[in-house]
Formats: sequence, structure tokens, C-alpha cells
Amino acid sequence: MPATTISDLARPSLAKGVRLEIDSTTRKSVLLYPEGIVELNETAHEILSRCDGRTLSEIICELAEEYEADSNALAADVRDTLSDLQRRKLIEFK
Amino acid sequence: MKVPRPYALLAEITYRCPLHCPYCSNPVNLEGRAPATPTETGSQELAPPSNVELTTEEWKRIIREAAALGVLQIGFSGGEPLARRDLVELIRAAREANLYTNLITSGIGLDDDRLRALRDAGLDSIQLSFQSDESSLADEIAGARAHDRKLDVAANIRAAGIPLSLNFVIHRANIDRLSQMIDLAEALGAGRVELANVQFYGWAFRNRAALLPTREQVDRARAIATTAKARLADKIDIFYVLPDYYETRPKPCLNGWGRRYLTVNPIGDVLPCPTASSAIPDLRLENVRTRDLGWIWQESESFNRFRGTEWMPEPCRSCPQKEIDFGGCRCQAALLTGNATNTDPVCEFSPNRAVVDAVLREVNLSGNNARDWMYRVNPPSLAI
Repeated sequence: MPATTISDLARPSLAKGVRLEIDSTTRKSVLLYPEGIVELNETAHEILSRCDGRTLSEIICELAEEYEADSNALAADVRDTLSDLQRRKLIEFK
Repeated sequence: MKVPRPYALLAEITYRCPLHCPYCSNPVNLEGRAPATPTETGSQELAPPSNVELTTEEWKRIIREAAALGVLQIGFSGGEPLARRDLVELIRAAREANLYTNLITSGIGLDDDRLRALRDAGLDSIQLSFQSDESSLADEIAGARAHDRKLDVAANIRAAGIPLSLNFVIHRANIDRLSQMIDLAEALGAGRVELANVQFYGWAFRNRAALLPTREQVDRARAIATTAKARLADKIDIFYVLPDYYETRPKPCLNGWGRRYLTVNPIGDVLPCPTASSAIPDLRLENVRTRDLGWIWQESESFNRFRGTEWMPEPCRSCPQKEIDFGGCRCQAALLTGNATNTDPVCEFSPNRAVVDAVLREVNLSGNNARDWMYRVNPPSLAI
């Protein structure tokens, strides 16, 4: 779905069979799934480590506070990242 | 050259298997290899006989060493990995080492108790093989009554909440049922399906004349796979592996030799590629009973032989694709040209492309008539 259609109340979570781990070689976050590995950038890591039942708007608020960023600009980034991961079936929304 | 770190370990924990698929890539003759290399310490004398499967403790050590090297994923395969009674224990060890654990299985022997035990040990995902979409052809290919049991196993895997992939090996006898195989994957709720045209190593190489599809079959299948991929994009990840003899450029085998993957076979030989032990007989294999995995990955002659691009002859050496396809497959070069260093003869620029064309010509002239194949048999001398 296009990024803008993700509801503020959607609760993103890792898709079944996907694990978030730290790659001990690079110290970076990775998503592991059947026959696949994705290295995450810092934005994706910060978002995904909060995908534990929180709503999208809660995640955006927290990140805006932590990084003292404008929450509208940040919301667009978060939505883009999440919709990209959803398209790749690595996360789902509840 | 800086040695890269590996990402995935294929653990071939046994060659025993209840199925007899003629396309199996396992070695045809395990006794055909030269004995393992003796070591300067003389520890060879103390090691168990080289044709005995690794023990549970040996596998646990390999898993720890692999994780320390940088491996993030492990696939338990074989043969049939369920034939090992210690599989649950090995899965648990892999999870303790933080590895993503895949089980690549025929499903035969996967009853409910075992499935739950595997899940509770932390198994992340199961790849279940199917031979076709319905039992008469599937069982004929497997050389065993297996299909109906696999259907039950697939349902149980779903019920246990473990992500399910379906793996089909595609060849002349089942390629015309590609569409029905995709339907089966959809009906069984698989999140992922691999439709891999047979690659010719091991038993498959021996049975090539019976397994290679015709050009007409290949063209039809490709169109079906492309359409299904688009239709099911939201539902299933479909991976269609091309039949490389019909391609003009070689596959990027392993994404480069000794670059991302390593395989440990049932007796502890460490391989840059699972088929290298039979395809490249002069490759001096190291064994985990005499060397640690890190040394083998970084220092051994076998892992360094085709690492990078320095080893390449022409036409690869000056080819702009050389960092993309890595010269194709070393095993295929060895099997078809007698020299593992040659350009994969699938490549249109290979001076040996005629070898592949001759095989294709013969198959396409004789049409897709059924031909006898030789079923895979279990290695007689492998005891646990």
C-alpha cells in the first residue's frame, strides 16, 4: 500500500519468520528471514526496535522526541521505511 | 586479498534419505574421493574413520565456530536431516548461537511430537520439498510413497505456526505441471515457493538425458512463472530458478566462491559448494575433525582456489561481468570441460559452449518422451 495510507493506529510488527538481530561482525542490525538477510540503516533500526505493539503514531512521537525532530517530516520517513518493509513482506500491520 | 566473512552455513548432517529422487545433487559415489589430508600433528590417526557421520558434539562445535566467523543463517539439510535423532538438539544449539535456522526436508518422519519439539527448540522456518502437485507423478519421481504424507506434514507445519516454504525441483517429467504446483503452494498456505529447474550435479548429472526439459517446455514454464509471480505478489514469494543450460550467461554461482557460503557435509568435509566434492575431484578438502572452521574458511587452498577474480582465465578475466557472475559455476566447468578453472560453458563467450549446445540439440531432437532414470540410492557405508 502507498505510504500515506498506513493508519496512525496501525501496529507494525515483524512478519512471521522474520527476526531482528545484531550482526556481531558489523555491530549493525539485520533482519533475518528464510534465505535472506537485510542490513538495516539507523532509521530502520530505530523504527523496528519499537515495533512491539506500539501504534505508528506512538512510534513517531517517541522518535521525534528522542531526536528532537519535526514530527511531520519524521512521519513521512517512518511511513516510507515501513511501507518498503511491508512490500518486502518483512513486517505486517495489526 | 582481504577474506570476506561468511553469511550462511549449509549443514548437510546426513546423506541418508527415505526418498530416491533421480535429481538429487548429493554425490553419486562417496567412496570415490582421495582420503582426507593427513595433518602434520598426526591427529589423523586418532580421528574416527572418515566415512562416519559427525557426532552431535562435533556439529555443536561447528555451529559455534560458524557463528564466531560471522555466519548468520544455518540450513539443516542432507539427505534427510530428520534421519538424525539429534536434530532437535542441533537446532537448539544453532539458536543458542543466535543463528537463523532453516530446516530443508522431505517431511518424511516429521510427526507432531517432533514438529513441536523443533518449534520449541527455536526452529525459524521449514522448506518442505515436493516432487509434483499430485501423488501418482510425485511418488514416481520420489521412488517412494511420500506425497500424501507431505500434504499432512504441510498442514501440521502451518498449524504449528512455523513459516513454510515449498521447494520443487523442476525437470522434464514435471515441468508441464508448473501451474498446478504453484496452485498447491497457494492451497497449502506457503509464504514462499522455490521452483528450481534442476541443476546438473550428482545424481542429476547422471540422469541428465531423462531430466533436461525441451526448449518448448522451458519457454512455457517461464511464462507461467512470470504470470504467477505477478498474480500472487501480495501472497507468496515465488522464486523461479532458470534452467541454466538454456541461458546465454552463467548463474552467479554462490555469489562468488568462498565469499558468502560454506557447506559441511555429513563426514565433516568443508566445502565451498555442496557439489564440489564430486564435481571437482582434485579439490583438496579439509575436514573439521582436523582443522577449525575459521582456518578452513580463511586459509585453506580449497576456499582460496577460486576466490576473487585473480584465478580467472579468458574470456572471464577481461569480461565486464566478472564481478557479477563470477565466471559461473566451477563445478559445471569441471563436469562439462574437465577443468574447474574454465569459464562456465553455459556462457555464450565460453570456447566450450558447444558442449552445452550438443546436449540441448540431442534433447530437443528427441522430444520430451519419457526416458529411464536411475534412482538415487543411499550410501552403503555411512553409519552413524
